[in-house]
Amino acid sequence: MSETISGTAQSPAGRGRRPGSGRLVGRVLRQRALVAWGAIVGVIVLAVTFAALLSPYDPNTGTLADSFAPPSWEHWLGADRNGRDVLTRLLYGGQVALLAAVEAVGIAMAVGVPAGLVIGYVGGWLDRILMRLVDGVMSVPFLVLAIAVIAAVGRGLPNAMAVVGLVYAMSVLRLVRGEVLAAREELYVDGLRVSGAGARRILFRHILANIAPPIIVQATLMFATAIIAEATLSYLGLGVTQPTASWGSMLAEAQATIRQNFFLAVPPGMAIFITVLGINQIGEGMRDLFSREITVGRLGLNVVRRAEPERAVSEPVPSALPERPVALEVRNLSVSFPQHGHGRVEVVRGVDLRLHRGELLCLVGESGSGKSVTAMSMLGLVAHPGLVTASSIRLADQEISGLDFAAMRAIRGNRIGVVFQDPLGSLNPTFTVGNQVCEAIREHRDVSRRQARALAIDLFDRVGIPNPAQRFHDYPFQFSGGMAQRVMIAMALSCDPEVLVADEPTTALDVTVQKQILRLLSDLRDERGLAILLITHDLGVVAEVADTVATMYAGQLVEYGPVAEVFAQPRHPYTQGLLDSVPRNEASNGPLASIRGVVPAPVDWPIGCHFADRCDFVEEPCRHSPVPLTGLGESGRAARCVRAGELRLHGISRDRLDTHAGVPSAAGSGTTP
Amino acid sequence: MRTVFVRLLTIIPLVLLVVSGTFFLSLASNVDPAEIILGGNATQEQIDQLRHEKGLDQPALERYGEWLGGVVRGDLGTSIYTGASVTDLFMAALPVTLSLTVGGLLVGVLLGVGLGLLASVVAGSRLDRGVILLSTVGQAAPSFFIGMLIIYFLALKMAWFPATGYVRPSASFGGWLHSLILPSLALGVGVAAALARQARSSMIIALQQDYTRTALSKGHSRRRVVFKHAARNAASPVVTSVSFQVAHLLGGAIVIERLFALPGLGSLTIDAVLRYDPNVIQAVVLFAVVVVVLVNLLVDVSYTWLNPKVRAA
Repeated sequence: MSETISGTAQSPAGRGRRPGSGRLVGRVLRQRALVAWGAIVGVIVLAVTFAALLSPYDPNTGTLADSFAPPSWEHWLGADRNGRDVLTRLLYGGQVALLAAVEAVGIAMAVGVPAGLVIGYVGGWLDRILMRLVDGVMSVPFLVLAIAVIAAVGRGLPNAMAVVGLVYAMSVLRLVRGEVLAAREELYVDGLRVSGAGARRILFRHILANIAPPIIVQATLMFATAIIAEATLSYLGLGVTQPTASWGSMLAEAQATIRQNFFLAVPPGMAIFITVLGINQIGEGMRDLFSREITVGRLGLNVVRRAEPERAVSEPVPSALPERPVALEVRNLSVSFPQHGHGRVEVVRGVDLRLHRGELLCLVGESGSGKSVTAMSMLGLVAHPGLVTASSIRLADQEISGLDFAAMRAIRGNRIGVVFQDPLGSLNPTFTVGNQVCEAIREHRDVSRRQARALAIDLFDRVGIPNPAQRFHDYPFQFSGGMAQRVMIAMALSCDPEVLVADEPTTALDVTVQKQILRLLSDLRDERGLAILLITHDLGVVAEVADTVATMYAGQLVEYGPVAEVFAQPRHPYTQGLLDSVPRNEASNGPLASIRGVVPAPVDWPIGCHFADRCDFVEEPCRHSPVPLTGLGESGRAARCVRAGELRLHGISRDRLDTHAGVPSAAGSGTTP
Repeated sequence: MRTVFVRLLTIIPLVLLVVSGTFFLSLASNVDPAEIILGGNATQEQIDQLRHEKGLDQPALERYGEWLGGVVRGDLGTSIYTGASVTDLFMAALPVTLSLTVGGLLVGVLLGVGLGLLASVVAGSRLDRGVILLSTVGQAAPSFFIGMLIIYFLALKMAWFPATGYVRPSASFGGWLHSLILPSLALGVGVAAALARQARSSMIIALQQDYTRTALSKGHSRRRVVFKHAARNAASPVVTSVSFQVAHLLGGAIVIERLFALPGLGSLTIDAVLRYDPNVIQAVVLFAVVVVVLVNLLVDVSYTWLNPKVRAA
């Protein structure tokens, strides 16, 4: 909660890039609502407190002449059957409500917090027995419990609210106890355990700091429910006694005369409603301040729109595998998201990709370069506010850009299969894997359940799942990561697609399993003529399986070509940087430490070369104007670099030993211009 | 099935604990039913005589044993005030309260889960904000105020429904339904508000999960993705809050029965409290605890169906 509320973190460049600025604005707005509701509740509290000063009337006596008097200058809200001023009774009734709520919440805190601290701290059998007791008390509806206690100890609001307070104390106790247990665990883990009184002091200070925000929120929301509880008890005649005014008893009186005068029900009803609403809003507002806001996302669906022709489409890059038929060709694909204060911001800009049958193309780049968004956008799987445009997306000979959701359903899972990064998260935990694979088959093929099952088991066998017929009935959590990824691959292949998109399929797996999965993918490419788009940030993977490689940086494709040639002599300094950052001994998922700086956020992309600020070879012309992806005329290579023709980059084979961890060496050391 | 049985056994001590608690609470009370029945002018002799007749002068443990033995046999004792069998009183009132709570639950679940689901699919839109607003309003307004508004507009102004009263289903099934619609609505609105919120946020979380994207990538229809893949995962927390709402409904029924003059357990309870009739109150507490505990058991069983991980464990 310390970040964000007031501070606007600016990047060193001072370009006004605020991390999550949309969320920040949202919080401030929320806070404004918090302030507004705070003011409303404050006015109510003040008015109620100074009721005697504000109103000239006595709340409990009236003149019969005023019976059912309509609202007037004398009686702003009219008078009730006994001629008592409604506004006056409302204000005094508010005193009853607020005092009752203060009593209940006070008891809840006074009992719940210490009891929770002690129970959580002592633990053991005391914890077990008392928590059973708490469960017992909490299993009785509180109104029933309150009634039982009132029956025993006699009527009267203080008694009733004491019961309410004790019931609330149970949930406070639970909250505090849980927090104590968590804190003990945490301190133990942190090695902060010291002996004796010091430890206890640390523990309690730590715990109190942790529980303060949720307790404050809880107390606020409890205050609101306590007001309703008071009104309910008084409405039932179990709270205040006649003629004392309470919002609840006023409603009960209004109900008795509802046929003659409905209006009498409105002031007390609205008083309860507005007070409770206000306090609830304050509680929720505080909760939002204390906790991270949940991002709201819709069902992730966004069809690809045809791009308006205004943007000049660059020359198509020559094919690296001209002898093979094209499986998928993407022209000028862009993805944008609305960003607060910046309108729509492009995160992928004008990407061209060509994928041939039997080709495995690796799309590489750091996190944030737009690789995954590019792949997902072609399938219309970009999350809600995103906008995807393309001049053309051709799948074999069919144009699929501009297709609506219904038409894309026939493509997704059928002609293009997808494998995601985290196999266990990507499989639905509540259905068996067999169910999920058969579901995919039956979505696109007119087969019986039995046939689908046979197909699925065959697929499981093909992707190397042992005992496929038995594992068919297992749930995802019963699989290891590697086996789950085989299930995902089987599912993606279930309708025999032409194209397979694999988004970092091995990142979540350990190294030996990675190799098996990669071998499986390259085998499938060879035996089925499958075109595979493999997204990865791991150049070890690229070297192992790719035919061609495309490097992406800050939303643009910056280099493309056959993998052997690109690795031997990259034509873009960014590709060289990626190669330099590969750890020496083949291990694969190390950080990309050797390129200084980070990928700029989309709003900060410069007009010229996106890589300019991090490039060791940057010159004045690099920053002038957008750099096109230019074919280099040699076996389908292309680069988006002003100096592509003059730079001689050393690739990965040589001078690997010069690269040490922590030494910034982005293509710097071993280059001969 | 065995786990259900074991669970049933473990809830017995809990029920016993709560029920015994209320029994001894009424004994510890300084209110003497005999005095209340006889009124302020009774002599001490008259009071002692009545106490003897009603068995109120017996030792506490003996009375407890007798009462508990009766409960096990299905005999909840007699009303001190009227001498009527509490079991009879209870059974006469039970159908009314059950109809009302089931009606309220139906309104709450159908309206709440439906709106929550709808809002989650269009999260962030105007419709979504409308649902959030409705649920905020529904949670802040007390049920009896909502009930009074409903009575005024739908029963008094429009005369579409009876304002008060209960019709036995044996007398007229249609009349029974008709008499239950407004009370169920009044009782269910608060439940719907809470469930809409829970359903919306659970669904929003489920719709953002990777498995939802996977389901879309397989070419499924939106309906299948929302109702099969996301809803199944979002269901557990919603079911949990439904079980919380049942306790809320039992309490709320007391208020709504009063508002709509329904002769159910709520009215029985209020009368019992006002004239001090401990056996009736104990019967109602017993009933409430048993219902809540059984619902919790049902919810736990549903988890095993909803979440295969629990099943395997």
